[in-house]
Amino acid sequence: MNNRHQPRPHQTQILNYSGGWMGVSAVPGSGKTYTLSLLAAQIITSGKINEEQEVLIVTLVNSAVDNFATRIGSFVEQFGLMRDMNYRVRTLHGLAHDIVRERPDLAGLSDRFSIADERDSDEIVKAAVSGWVRSHPEFILEWTNPNLNPQRNSDLQKKWEDLLVKVARAFIRQAKDLQLSPQQIRDQLSSTHYNHSLIQLGLDVYESYQRGLMLRSLIDFDDLIRLALNVLNTDSDYLRRLRYRFPYILEDEAQDSSRLQEEILRRLAGEDGNWVRVGDPNQAIYETFTTASPEYLRNFLKLQSVQAYDLPDSGRSTASIIRLANELIRWTIQDHPVEALRNALTPPYVRPTPPGDPQPNPPDEPNEIFLVMKKFSPEGEIKAVVDSLKRWLPQHPHQTVAVLVPRNERGGKVVTALKGAGIPVIELLQSSQTTRQTAAVLEKILKSLNKAADNRLLVDVFKEVIRLLFPENAPDNGVVQQATQLLWANSEPENYLYPRAENNWLDELHRRDDLFDQTTAILKDFALLMRRWQQAILLPIDQLILTIAQDLFREPTQLALAHSLALLLGRTAQRHPEWQLPQFTEELGLIARNERRILGFSDEEPGFDPDEHPGKVVVATIHKAKGLEWDRVYLMSVNNYDFPSAQGFDRYYSEKYFVRNQLNLEAEALSRLKALANRELTSLYLEEGIATQQARLEYCAERLRLFYVGITRARRSLIITWNTGKDTQGSENSPALPFVHLQKFWEEYRRETSA
Amino acid sequence: MSLPEFFSTQRQIAESPLNRKIFLHGEPGSGKTTAGLARLVFLLESGIPAEQILILLPQRTLAQPYYDYLAQNPLPPGGLPTIVTLGGLSQRTIQLFWPAISAEAGFAQPHQPPLFLTLETAQYYMAKVVEPFLDQGYFEQLVIDRNRLYSQLLDNLNKAALVGFAHTTLGERLKQAWNGQSQHLIVFDQAQECIKAFREYCLANNLLDFSLQIELFIHHLWRSFLVRNYLQTQYRHLIYDNIEEDAPAAHDVIGEWLPIFDSAVLIFDLHGGHRIFLGADPQSAALLANFCDEVVEFPPSLICPPPIRQFQSALVKSVQRQLTIEELTPQIKTAFTHLPARFYPEMVDRVCKTIDELVHQKQVAPCEIAVLAPFMSDSLRFSLMNRLEEYQIPARSHRPSRSLYDEPAVRTLITLAKLAHPHWEMPPTREEIRSMLVHCIADLDLVRADLLMQMGFAAKKQSFPLRPFEEIGAGGRERITYSAGLRYSRLREWLLNYIERGEEEELDVFFAFLFGEVLSQPGYGFHDHLDDASVTARLIESIQKFRQVIEPVRSQQPGFSVGFEYLKMVQQGVISALYLTPVEEENAVLISPAYSFIINNRPVRFQFWLDCGNFGWWERLFQPLTHPYVLSRNWQPGRLWTDVEEYETNQQSLIRIIRGLTYRCSEHVFLCTSRINERGAEERGALLLAFQGLLRRLHQQEAAHE
Repeated sequence: MNNRHQPRPHQTQILNYSGGWMGVSAVPGSGKTYTLSLLAAQIITSGKINEEQEVLIVTLVNSAVDNFATRIGSFVEQFGLMRDMNYRVRTLHGLAHDIVRERPDLAGLSDRFSIADERDSDEIVKAAVSGWVRSHPEFILEWTNPNLNPQRNSDLQKKWEDLLVKVARAFIRQAKDLQLSPQQIRDQLSSTHYNHSLIQLGLDVYESYQRGLMLRSLIDFDDLIRLALNVLNTDSDYLRRLRYRFPYILEDEAQDSSRLQEEILRRLAGEDGNWVRVGDPNQAIYETFTTASPEYLRNFLKLQSVQAYDLPDSGRSTASIIRLANELIRWTIQDHPVEALRNALTPPYVRPTPPGDPQPNPPDEPNEIFLVMKKFSPEGEIKAVVDSLKRWLPQHPHQTVAVLVPRNERGGKVVTALKGAGIPVIELLQSSQTTRQTAAVLEKILKSLNKAADNRLLVDVFKEVIRLLFPENAPDNGVVQQATQLLWANSEPENYLYPRAENNWLDELHRRDDLFDQTTAILKDFALLMRRWQQAILLPIDQLILTIAQDLFREPTQLALAHSLALLLGRTAQRHPEWQLPQFTEELGLIARNERRILGFSDEEPGFDPDEHPGKVVVATIHKAKGLEWDRVYLMSVNNYDFPSAQGFDRYYSEKYFVRNQLNLEAEALSRLKALANRELTSLYLEEGIATQQARLEYCAERLRLFYVGITRARRSLIITWNTGKDTQGSENSPALPFVHLQKFWEEYRRETSA
Repeated sequence: MSLPEFFSTQRQIAESPLNRKIFLHGEPGSGKTTAGLARLVFLLESGIPAEQILILLPQRTLAQPYYDYLAQNPLPPGGLPTIVTLGGLSQRTIQLFWPAISAEAGFAQPHQPPLFLTLETAQYYMAKVVEPFLDQGYFEQLVIDRNRLYSQLLDNLNKAALVGFAHTTLGERLKQAWNGQSQHLIVFDQAQECIKAFREYCLANNLLDFSLQIELFIHHLWRSFLVRNYLQTQYRHLIYDNIEEDAPAAHDVIGEWLPIFDSAVLIFDLHGGHRIFLGADPQSAALLANFCDEVVEFPPSLICPPPIRQFQSALVKSVQRQLTIEELTPQIKTAFTHLPARFYPEMVDRVCKTIDELVHQKQVAPCEIAVLAPFMSDSLRFSLMNRLEEYQIPARSHRPSRSLYDEPAVRTLITLAKLAHPHWEMPPTREEIRSMLVHCIADLDLVRADLLMQMGFAAKKQSFPLRPFEEIGAGGRERITYSAGLRYSRLREWLLNYIERGEEEELDVFFAFLFGEVLSQPGYGFHDHLDDASVTARLIESIQKFRQVIEPVRSQQPGFSVGFEYLKMVQQGVISALYLTPVEEENAVLISPAYSFIINNRPVRFQFWLDCGNFGWWERLFQPLTHPYVLSRNWQPGRLWTDVEEYETNQQSLIRIIRGLTYRCSEHVFLCTSRINERGAEERGALLLAFQGLLRRLHQQEAAHE
């Protein structure tokens, strides 16, 4: 495969990199993955590194890992070298895992440490919070809105517990990010004589949570990062060995780098090392309540020792879409009504590619921009989008399209509506399709193993196995249909799987002349697999899952997920030695039905390529859509609740009506924790509400960038809509301020150009 | 006798004068143990009474050649040579001289007999001792499961005894070497406290774990004139094999004893020290040469042919990053084959297919083949065994060290025990019974077992959950088959008879009867499954030992049932199936962790090295509460254990494994790699990198010639 083309001049500047620290600001669609991959391949093939060394590429999400690995592999192969050697692509968690796994002793771990899953951590945090609330009944009294009518709020207790679980989780994550142990927070509290019920809640739950993890021999993902940095700071020889192994570090999506990420990479690279950071500060959308911030990249770019470049040319979108994106940047910088938000977006502006570029922008189609100001109810907005898609899809069978929403919940409703209208959908929402499908396949197999005499369950497994192992046989293939019908009709599966001489079902099929030859062959292969798995039910559950997975899955992501599932079930089995197949099956079912998330290194769509799915509608959150592009994009719910602008009439997701003064408890707790960590006494004693206000600004800034990310996903066609919301608190949503501005701008522009 | 023809050096060793002490060293596979055996034969043929001969080994399994010889060649009437490890010798001597030393050694009940703990029972008591500490928050910052915590504490005690320092200094030694976060240091103090409490508990209850046995022997018995005189009079001739795998404590004793022996042959494997985790110390072993009259070096290995030897040398150099093209000979390529795969299951398939070709096309005996991996998970073992079974190739496997409860045969037996003891109020679930039936009744597959459960599982209010087969409808009986029904009925009747007798047997006795009268009979699953029989024997032995040491200490407690306590411990995983060795089947492919294969020292013609990218080939096991290198005699107390040491020991360990395996391979190595490992991740460990280095240079060499 020859996928290299002549780099653009700005890309060439970066490819001329020979060493040291370099920072790159790249606009959406400027080919930064391409450029970084080519740079990695250049380093590998130019003999700059030894056989045992590797170029380390750090990226934000797993979906990008595959993408990088495939590209670098193919570039390297073009030089006649082995495609898998001399580079390593990792997310920060993956890298942290590598660092800790190689020397777990330095982190105080045994070599069999496991990483807590949502089930584990949920169990622990929920138990800790409910215990805490029971023993501190005054807390809820202190913080509940005094004007609340208790009769109209019978589920208040549950709402409170849900909120406190969220607050506690955020507190724990922040504390770990600040590298504070419960004991250190306690010490800080006693040395400052500070006391606050929110800090007390967070601290007590944090302590119980850590104890719960230890009891289960677990660490969580935040521990992993914290421990990796500790390990690097602890053993200078190990650090030296890693520096030798990774002489070049290329960091993608650096705008979402957190303090700890920057610290880890800075340690790994060393002051005289080779470190390239590429990112787009305008696409920083993971900042709320973490220490991630585009400021780290911005400050890095300003360093004297850093060679700073831009990648401003983008061939992704039409001129009209680029115009809208650039106007959003301009308006934010110059005209945003809230001064504090004017640095939420920054230059460089997006530039269309120069003439003759191998990746020219699509021809401009201003008529394909629809900024719909019509007032929709939430259902009305979905209906309008579904209707639009019903019209558009048949006319554009070879184009790609996505519906982007700000929240998973909204996405779920869109998916239901699209499915109801018979439109093919691909979901990129909370947990990945792969996760759910993997869990669902395993669930079906366990179900069948549990009721081995049930031929309907056997048929279910058959269909899955055919889909996975013989993808060339489409389900409507005659052979598969015939085999399915035969299995369905055979009510005595024992004569199929374990035939006696007198009752051999497969032999009988062989004697029939109305069947395809392949039908019996495929049934014979399937019987072999089923027998193997049925024998394996005597193994411990984790080993059973692994055995099935090794037979069934070929994709690394599926294997990795099955491995995570096996570990998860193995841990559950240790805690519940009485559990049998039905309980494990149910557990898998929860994950398959998206009722429980499995956190793993692979809980994202691996290398999802929208271009492989023309004619289908991808429904995704804007977060999940990052790095992807479609011919047409619907951007929904662009109202002042999901995209507030720090205006008096805006309402905020994190400010709950049942909390006194509608405070954002998460923000109030975290700002105090940060002040405590930094010993900023003045911030510690700031009055209530200031942190809530500050959080609003941060949230609004991030949402502006999220809007920008949404717009820049579109290549040719963009539709933006909004809705009034559910009106539960007596007020309706209005269209988001930047949306209103863009709509006016676009109207004027169209008027001017048509004139 | 049935020994092979000796070559001259072997004969020279065997027939050396009866007052000569020889230190014999050479490569693995060079015929040293055969020389040891020949020496045994010569001693016996020279009229030395067998009971005067002491054959000392670091581990029981290494005694097999000597046992085999004695089993095949009846000795003249009289005694037998003593074949023993230092632990065994300690235990025997303690039993003999207990009254003489028990009081001075600090036991609280010197007039009561000692209770020797096995690894399992020691772990059981360690758990009892440590539990109150855990309740106080000890080890809170450690991420480790309980059983590994207990075993590491015991391991520390054993190291102290075997290396020869006071167990009270353990914490300090570990702290001094610690290079990590200072917050971690407290766990070493906590470990020290628990170790001390355990030792006190043992002394108070006459319990002797392995470390205490060794310490009693070294510090009390061996120091006693009476005992030393007894031992030195009893044994006049020594054959001490694999001394490099033994611990300094054993070397010290032998060092002092050597001048007294009439004759001795000490056998030292070069490049050994594989049991370093269990205290092996080749350096202290090598010092014993100073006490011998003669040092003999054996010629190179008889097993390892030149191409394998060249492959070994090239791979080792590649690990050390010193391999040059000039060193590669054309022959080297005949020593190995690379079996690349993209995925793990594809790798397993390729391995099995290649074995099939070897066995069925090239007529290689299955026992000439070993499949080796750094770790052998149940799933990997199952996949390999299952696929080989499909090719109709017999296979046997080394069990990994793990919870006994994970053994299917153990689960089956426990389900049967629950069924037979309804008063325990631990009724088995339907799924447990179904699995038990599949495992127990030959030819009863999962589908028919499922039918049997659907139709034969009694309603909840019934006291016994299995209905008579005759009560199942004719159609159902037909589907389940009458032969399976008959076996089901016999098992059911046996259980009902046992319940009706109303006398609860000891659990080990119950299992022994059940196994003898039903499970081992034709038509039942354990009949021709030697693995299951061996697990049952292991379980029975484990319960017996458990009973012997638990009863005297705990049975006075009201309501205490040993059987019930044992089952609880098994279910919690406190009791592990350590050291389950493979059932000896004459002609089967061996599936084993590489380390166990080397230790068991049975060379093969063909080796498959699975998953070369796995870090397990290179890395040591990380144990946060103990440290094999820091707790060794070669470690200078006070030094810091840094990454330099870590890296260097891992490099040495990989080199040792490469040598250990290749010395035990007489024809060909298959290096099996998978781009994506079992967990779906890429893994490029040091063995893979070394192998890549070798391949790369071979390509370069070829390109240069073209």
